[in-house]
Amino acid sequence: MPEAAVWAIYFLPVTAFLVNAGLMRKNPRGAATVTILAIGGAWVLALWAMTVTMSNHGEAVGFEPHTWLEFGELTVEFGVRLDGLSSMMLVVVTSVSLLVQIYSTGYMHGDTGYARYYTYMALFTSAMLGLVLASSILQLFIHWELVGLASYLLIGFWFDRPSAAAAAKKAFIVTRFGDFGFMLAVIAIWANTEGQFDIAHINELAEHGDIAASALTGITLGMFMGAMGKSAQFPLHIWLPDAMEGPTPVSALIHAATMVVAGVYLLARMFPTFHSAPEGVSTFIAYTGAFTAIFAASMGLVMTDVKRVLAYSTVSQLGYMVMALGLGGYVAATFHLFTHAFFKALLFLGSGSVNHATNTFDMRLMGGLRKSMPITFWTFLIGSISLAGVWPLSGFWSKDEILLDAWHEDKFLWVIGTMVAFMTAFYMFRAVFLTFFGEYKGGAEPEHGTAHAPAHHGPHESPPSMAYPLIILAVPSILIGWLTVGGFGEFVQGALPEAMRHHPEPESIVVVASLAAALGGIGLASAMYYGGTPSPASLLALFRPIHGVIANKYYMDVIAEDGLVRTVLHRGVGRGLQLFDTWVVDGAVNGVAFASRMAGEGLRRTIFGQPQAYTSAFLMGTITIVGAILVLGGSALEALQSLRP
Amino acid sequence: MLTLFLMLPIAGALTLLLLPEDQRIKPRVIALVYSGLAFAVSVLVFALFDPAREGYQFVQRFTWIDASSAGFTVQYALGVDGLSAPLVLLTGLLSLAAVLVSWNIELRPRAYFAMLLLLEASVAGVFTSLDLIQFFFFWELELLPMYLLISIWGSGRKEYSAMKFLLYTIGGSALMAVGFLLIGLSAGTFDIAVLARTPDAELILPGALVFWMIMAAFLVKLPVFPVHTWLPDAHTDAPTAVSVMLAGVLLKMGGYGIMRIPVSLLPEQAHTFATLLATIAGFSVVYGAIITLQQRDLKRLIAYSSVSHMGYVLLGVAALTPVSMSGAALQMFTHGTITGLLFIMVGLVYDRAHTRQIADFGGLMHHVPFIGVFMLVAGMASLGLPTLSGFVAELTVFLGSWDAHPIATAFAVFGVVLAAGYILWMMQRVFFGPPSTRWASMPDATAWWERTAVLGMAASIVVVGVYPAVVTRVIEAGIEPIAAIVGAA
Repeated sequence: MPEAAVWAIYFLPVTAFLVNAGLMRKNPRGAATVTILAIGGAWVLALWAMTVTMSNHGEAVGFEPHTWLEFGELTVEFGVRLDGLSSMMLVVVTSVSLLVQIYSTGYMHGDTGYARYYTYMALFTSAMLGLVLASSILQLFIHWELVGLASYLLIGFWFDRPSAAAAAKKAFIVTRFGDFGFMLAVIAIWANTEGQFDIAHINELAEHGDIAASALTGITLGMFMGAMGKSAQFPLHIWLPDAMEGPTPVSALIHAATMVVAGVYLLARMFPTFHSAPEGVSTFIAYTGAFTAIFAASMGLVMTDVKRVLAYSTVSQLGYMVMALGLGGYVAATFHLFTHAFFKALLFLGSGSVNHATNTFDMRLMGGLRKSMPITFWTFLIGSISLAGVWPLSGFWSKDEILLDAWHEDKFLWVIGTMVAFMTAFYMFRAVFLTFFGEYKGGAEPEHGTAHAPAHHGPHESPPSMAYPLIILAVPSILIGWLTVGGFGEFVQGALPEAMRHHPEPESIVVVASLAAALGGIGLASAMYYGGTPSPASLLALFRPIHGVIANKYYMDVIAEDGLVRTVLHRGVGRGLQLFDTWVVDGAVNGVAFASRMAGEGLRRTIFGQPQAYTSAFLMGTITIVGAILVLGGSALEALQSLRP
Repeated sequence: MLTLFLMLPIAGALTLLLLPEDQRIKPRVIALVYSGLAFAVSVLVFALFDPAREGYQFVQRFTWIDASSAGFTVQYALGVDGLSAPLVLLTGLLSLAAVLVSWNIELRPRAYFAMLLLLEASVAGVFTSLDLIQFFFFWELELLPMYLLISIWGSGRKEYSAMKFLLYTIGGSALMAVGFLLIGLSAGTFDIAVLARTPDAELILPGALVFWMIMAAFLVKLPVFPVHTWLPDAHTDAPTAVSVMLAGVLLKMGGYGIMRIPVSLLPEQAHTFATLLATIAGFSVVYGAIITLQQRDLKRLIAYSSVSHMGYVLLGVAALTPVSMSGAALQMFTHGTITGLLFIMVGLVYDRAHTRQIADFGGLMHHVPFIGVFMLVAGMASLGLPTLSGFVAELTVFLGSWDAHPIATAFAVFGVVLAAGYILWMMQRVFFGPPSTRWASMPDATAWWERTAVLGMAASIVVVGVYPAVVTRVIEAGIEPIAAIVGAA
């Protein structure tokens, strides 16, 4: 495969963005066509790239990097890295993106910002592909920031809503807080590797012990801080649920399948570096992931908004992946990333389809949609079974691998992971029953300005542009788990050095426990939300105080936004420094000015009364000084020289 | 060539002042022609600058005052190197933009444009002078037009702010003048190029004292904590074009001066005080950013963000490594275009709304999308988004400073997080939200002069961000000799 073809995967959507931003602002259909064609082209090329790396057993196909910047001792090179890991991601990103773009032609139909939407989508897809292909850590960081920009623009797409504008800002700033660590890590890498940015080189140096352990600890923790922001790990997860303010296809693509896994991708990409860091780092990563997984799952249990359920589910599943990487489960994490992308995108698009019909995401206003929206129902059900982890759907296989790694490495985390599996199955089927079973509760009135179907016709199935992507996504949600048998592990491990490749021994108790957890969760959900016993209301009464805490997201938003940012930082530190600046720093200056004004009563009128006169006096003064130097220069010099010791 | 760059605005100013009142050609057209020509010359200087050649280029010198009997001469000496060439280009670009955004000035336009051109000439003189006395002359010359522009064409407490600006600068430059005299008279020359080649001359006063005398003037100009409070006042009360010039090029006189004079001429002192300077810089970045978050006036917000961003320049200089100083030089150029654009955008809003209070706005994106989009572009550049020029400069500063001053660098990197805070919060409050009834009839920027200024500045931000080599190959050549001097000390 020629290098130009690999670059084209990135530059096709870049071109689409530029064309749309420049020429298609008044041409919505044109913008959609350009974006879809470009991403379609990138998808074909990504498949080609995948076949190339497959024939190479997942090992890197060598391409030389190109110099972007030479600035004294600073050399920055950009290149493409094509191996099992990156080509797998290319396929995920282009496939999901393509389907989401097609789906959006229906979902966004008639929206006043239609052309703008496709412009941003092209921007996002190109930045994400740039991130995946990056051969240098700086190149990765640059695109990491650009996907953040695209995410900001798309969360705030309906910027007339104050909540959307606030959510966009929150997402950018919280992830940027993580990027503070990432940027320090990039700087420290450069400083500790004699000016290296190349990912393969950095990994090699770390592996061979050429980076001091203390530096390596700092570097890996810094990068992990970046990953915590992007991949929504506790406590930086708070932006992701709010990000649901964006259009639902955006949530499916960016906040479920692709951008949020960038943190996981970073950990996998730099796996040899993390692997070589002191053990404490990996433990910290594993426990952060595990805590995020169970913490977010608990909030998924009580949300009434179907999109929020999916959002917390995403946070939880990302926690799974991070935990796996902390436990050394490179294959398990990347495999779960792979399967999750498809079934979670499917679930989000399904919730969008429901929203299209009912004008709401509130499950309390839905119900009974099974009959009126059969395609949405069946595909949503498939996604839910897959996410719940029931054999033989794809989610089962990847979750099983994570739990298997946990079993071998840390039994406590295995227990946590299995509990999360139970909770996942429960909240997904709670969503299925509330949405699709029982009586239809009427939905909501269409919001002013959105182009969705009016409610009074009753809910109906979405148009083919939306239905077909659901059906297509259901296929991998069912099937791709079997790839684990077909050598997925060998393929992505091609990106790793030989010594780090491993295959955990299968363990039947892990399989049995995880299946039991999944079926148990589904069973409890059906008993409660289909059978009605125990009734959700009686349980709610029993657990009311706990429910209140969880439904309020453990007051994390209140603590972070009202407490930390508004009160401590803004009103406390900020206001305090502002007063200091006004009264002490500036006050001292004004005080001096005031004092000298009082002292120099005669001078007062000149200085403060007549600026022009003062200015000319000042100029005269300057000229006099210069003149004096010139005229008296010689004697002045002699006088000065005589002062010399 | 450089004389031409210097004389074109002066000629323009004289033309404006000497022509009779009742003329058919409008003052703004005259100003546009002269600043346009000056811009063309600055582009030529930058384009023809040969990074492969050593030393100053386009040098013109003749003896102005011959006091060789006393052991020194004062020269008229102009020249540029890789450090000043980008700043010459910046001066040409921003002066042209300043004339464009002043298109509708109605109060005494002849005098206004004359002062604007005189300002350009004085800044150009600072960036191209190779003689300390001449440098000082242009440094002081800049005060006259600035003072008048703020106090006559400004708004709010304009006399107070203008006077504050004046006193601060004079306070600094008085010390600087003494420092220059001590250096020049001790070494027997005021020639910057010669002084830089000679080891630290024996001074009759301690070198540290002389170093700080000169630094004082430049730190005030930059500005950094705690000598920054003149800047927000001056900005708030200055007309748009003057803010563009002030933030865009005048502050760079400070950073340029530090690298050209105290660091190059007294490198041993620079090493001695490097940690102190880096500490001031790191603190200034975070302090400036936190105060920025408190601002309720758009112009004060951008002004305080400049305090924060100029901290990066000082950090890069204080680390004294080739990479960090290259980053500082690049940061001066990129901050000039980015903040220049931010002030232009704020000016466009203020022209239409006659208020700059953030609380008065909301939902402007619906009514003035062109202004909104380019405010976002400028804002994203200001918060260091990659592919826009600020990122490369900041990254280079951080990379170069990390080994020397890790803690100050970490503070500076945290400034980037805070920058996201103040920019995006401003965007949210001013441009996003539901359509506003109060501003529903606000006209978008459609005039050719508005669009030319905005698009030109935005283009320079994107070009440097995507392909920084257009500037870095020049800057690299300028930093190399300075780094060699510093490295040898």
